Amino acid sequence: MTYEDDKTLAEALKTAREEGRVCALATIVGTRGSTPRKVGARMLVDPKEGLTGTIGGGCGEAEVIESAYRVLKTGFAERVRVDLTEDFTTWSPAVCGGVMDVFVEPVEVQTGDQEQLSKESRTRAPNR
Amino acid sequence: MNTADAASPNTLGPFEISQLMLTATANGGSAASGTLVGASDHNLLGGRIALVCNPGDELSRTGALGSTRLNEAGFAELMTAIGDKRAKDGIRTLEVNNEKFEFYVEIRRPIRELVVVGAGHVAQPMAHIGALLGYQVTVLDDRPDFATRERFPDAQRLVRTDFTDPFAEVTLHERSYLILVTRGHKYDYECLIRALRTNPRPAYIGMIGSRRRVRATYLQLLEEGIDRELLASIHAPVGLDIGAETPEEIAVSVAAELIMLDRGGIGSSLRDLERVTSRFFRDPNLSQGENEGGRHEGQFNETDT
Repeated sequence: MTYEDDKTLAEALKTAREEGRVCALATIVGTRGSTPRKVGARMLVDPKEGLTGTIGGGCGEAEVIESAYRVLKTGFAERVRVDLTEDFTTWSPAVCGGVMDVFVEPVEVQTGDQEQLSKESRTRAPNR
Repeated sequence: MNTADAASPNTLGPFEISQLMLTATANGGSAASGTLVGASDHNLLGGRIALVCNPGDELSRTGALGSTRLNEAGFAELMTAIGDKRAKDGIRTLEVNNEKFEFYVEIRRPIRELVVVGAGHVAQPMAHIGALLGYQVTVLDDRPDFATRERFPDAQRLVRTDFTDPFAEVTLHERSYLILVTRGHKYDYECLIRALRTNPRPAYIGMIGSRRRVRATYLQLLEEGIDRELLASIHAPVGLDIGAETPEEIAVSVAAELIMLDRGGIGSSLRDLERVTSRFFRDPNLSQGENEGGRHEGQFNETDT
């Protein structure tokens, strides 16, 4: 992602935080073969504002958005493998030829959200 | 748990990381962040750490992944990534106490600066496309009514300069990309010789001009004692050969060259490189032996993806 992409994403994250919304963030963490976007591409799913950024449009994005809504509901991160190797004549959008690994995680609101906070502290705090 | 934890580095999330990385790179530093994206303990997923290297080589660590050993392994991986100029974003494996963790590493380098010297008709689309590609754009000119906000809405900086000392206010460095498009070859020459004598030298120096004009400029540079090797590093005439004529087309041509150098492309039509027709489809007008590939009449192979 370029500096501008980073900035756009940071602004979207900031807005969601200020308005107290939990979002889901999808990051391409691995690819094999031809994929529309490469490792590092990000998409933020904000339940109110919609999408910021893209991880490849029609090619597999729908699957990731579905996962994002699951993540928003459960609060647990997921790994999604998007297979874009479908046969061309199925006219599915997923014919780019590759496979991508997408990490989808909740972006929590930390101020005033004690439950999320204590969960985070339990799992990530110790031994420093 | 209490609210004090809110400020603790252990709650490093995507928001904090993005702020940290942006600040670091805007200040001329590098940063690397790592996220646990694969672990048998699902509670560890999404744990993050970051390492920031400021211009003075001063390092700072933030965040935690879990156990001390896991953190140490993570930070060691980030240290390697930040020190290796060729390191790419992606998953590394951390092995701690015989357990394997998938650790997604992302690296950010100080942002690149496009310095456009001359604020004329080529500079306008050049600054625009530079900003589009993520460069911080600086436009220099000696004429106050040219380097204006109205003409360059997305330039980071507009600098009024004197071409006898063009870079007085702009520091050139290893991540500067210099485009010389002033209104006269005399100014281009003056800026060029300055740029060649700066230390560190810019990553890229491009100068517009016909073959004749470039030759005359080089001749003069040689006379000034600039060595041949250094001349060969200048991109003049600037840009990739796409037949560009208008200022906008020239800007695209220069941008194409910048991308090509950055990503290691070769600047040919992908059609000609991939040759999908001749490689995968038989030409009915050619005999068996003359057909190059055409092995499966367009059928896909496992290796074709």
